[in-house]
Amino acid sequence: MNISLGKRKTVNFFLAIITIVVFVFILFPPLMLFMTSIKRNVDALRYPPVWIFRPIGSNYLEIFNLIPFGNYLINSLIVATISTFLALFIGSMAAYGLTRFQFRRSKDLSFWILSIRMTPPVASIIPIFIIMRTLKLLDSPIALVIAYFTFNIPFAVWLLRSFFLEIPREIEESAMVDGCSSYSTFFRISLPLIAPGLAATGIFTFIFSWNEFLFALILTGTRAQTVPVALTGFIRETGIMWSHMAAAGVLAMVPMILFTALAQKNLVKGLTMGAIK
Amino acid sequence: MTFKNLEKIAPFVFIGPAVIILFLIVIFPMVYSIGISLSEWNLMRGGNWKFVGLRNYYYTFFQDPDFYTSLKVTLIYVATAVGLELLLGLGVALLLNRPLKKIGIMRTILVIPTTMTPVVVGIIWRLLYNPELGVLNYFLELFGFQKLNWLGDPNLALPSVIMADIWEWTPFMALILLAGLQSLPKEPFEASIVDGASYLQLFRYITFPLLLPTLIVALLLRVMDAFKTFDLIFVLTKGGPGLSTELLSFYTYKYGFKFFHMGRASALSYILFLILFVITQFFLKYYRSGEE
Repeated sequence: MNISLGKRKTVNFFLAIITIVVFVFILFPPLMLFMTSIKRNVDALRYPPVWIFRPIGSNYLEIFNLIPFGNYLINSLIVATISTFLALFIGSMAAYGLTRFQFRRSKDLSFWILSIRMTPPVASIIPIFIIMRTLKLLDSPIALVIAYFTFNIPFAVWLLRSFFLEIPREIEESAMVDGCSSYSTFFRISLPLIAPGLAATGIFTFIFSWNEFLFALILTGTRAQTVPVALTGFIRETGIMWSHMAAAGVLAMVPMILFTALAQKNLVKGLTMGAIK
Repeated sequence: MTFKNLEKIAPFVFIGPAVIILFLIVIFPMVYSIGISLSEWNLMRGGNWKFVGLRNYYYTFFQDPDFYTSLKVTLIYVATAVGLELLLGLGVALLLNRPLKKIGIMRTILVIPTTMTPVVVGIIWRLLYNPELGVLNYFLELFGFQKLNWLGDPNLALPSVIMADIWEWTPFMALILLAGLQSLPKEPFEASIVDGASYLQLFRYITFPLLLPTLIVALLLRVMDAFKTFDLIFVLTKGGPGLSTELLSFYTYKYGFKFFHMGRASALSYILFLILFVITQFFLKYYRSGEE
């Protein structure tokens, strides 16, 4: 290459500046949220915004008294955990079946399952709302568990399918030769082999369930409310309780960020349902 | 049952539960929803369904000017947001596709907006856009500009929501495209560099064509998601002012759960469903051709 060293250095310098600008742009909004969450309400409402103030942590405690935020956190936790485990169980069986048993139209069935993932939530919520209402399940965590677990199945099947496809056939075949049934091969050999894939899939389905808003908004009332719906409750006729809402928002998002850091290796695979490795 | 019989039905035992659940909780309600869309049924007024044939669809297509406004807003939203996200995401991906020391941390930061609760994204941007105390107006004033009513001005509300969407999803694009760039084969690049190709030529004739499959997957995934945007609208504007940010998903929600007009809401939701169905078919066809 005949670009001089000096020119290359300038180029790299500019690229570094642009990179910094990009990351500032990404990080600035959540940082503003965090700043607001540690301001006293009077400071949060001050204009021009104050940059130097005495940080407080009391907003984080007060949200538990102002609204039953603890209950909402527990609701979110229960719904996301149960629906994740159910989706992993049913999803891994289906994914295994679809990759191991070759039958007519097995490929079509896989793609049919994938296409369900694309259904707009606002289209399925109307009949589901009516059905849950008839079954008297409105404002019960059961309704949300059913909805989240079902809508996570296509995702789980597709992501896990890509992990099962990576297991060398010979390992399973030798287990079969040793007299293992399909069932024991699945539980004893294949499932343990894709443990990292299961973990990554579980992290994603947990995040989807934790973040979901439309179903939670419509299927729950006061008792079974989850965190995202509770967050919108800080927007009131009388005004927005900025610093408290910010504190609750930080509590909602931090666990998800930590979780994704755990799934780092399979991030892109998860975000594209295995379409891109 | 004997061991052999159990083995015979294994495919059903493995795949059956998932298929049955999807049928019960997705397919059956969607079919039920066709029935609702062909009826006059208001939850508030109570009473029974009244079969009205295609009247709800007729109303939507021929008597409801708001539907076309909402459709237009949705198309502008999807095209602008996803288009810009693709361009910016590609830029960021190319920027980071160099030997960088801190790439692990950078990836972690990139994923923050994507996995953050969308309602929180809405709250953050509402905070930034706040006309009285928002930091964006503070910066505008600092540099001698007029304050803006970001979400309250009918001409500005849609671009403002789009900007929040761009913040939320550009990193997602960048992550996927970066993964795509890093999995490209090395040889064509080395050969062209030896032949003296410029950076732009490299991009135009090698990088871009090789990256195209990844680009299409990312684009289709984003388009499908953008059509479903609901949370951002709910927190930022509730479709207003007027109908300036009334995306189809929000419009459908309003018919169903504000006006409780289930028949019309179901008809609307089927229109949205069909739009997405067509895009999904493209995606699946593309995905499948890559797999086989």
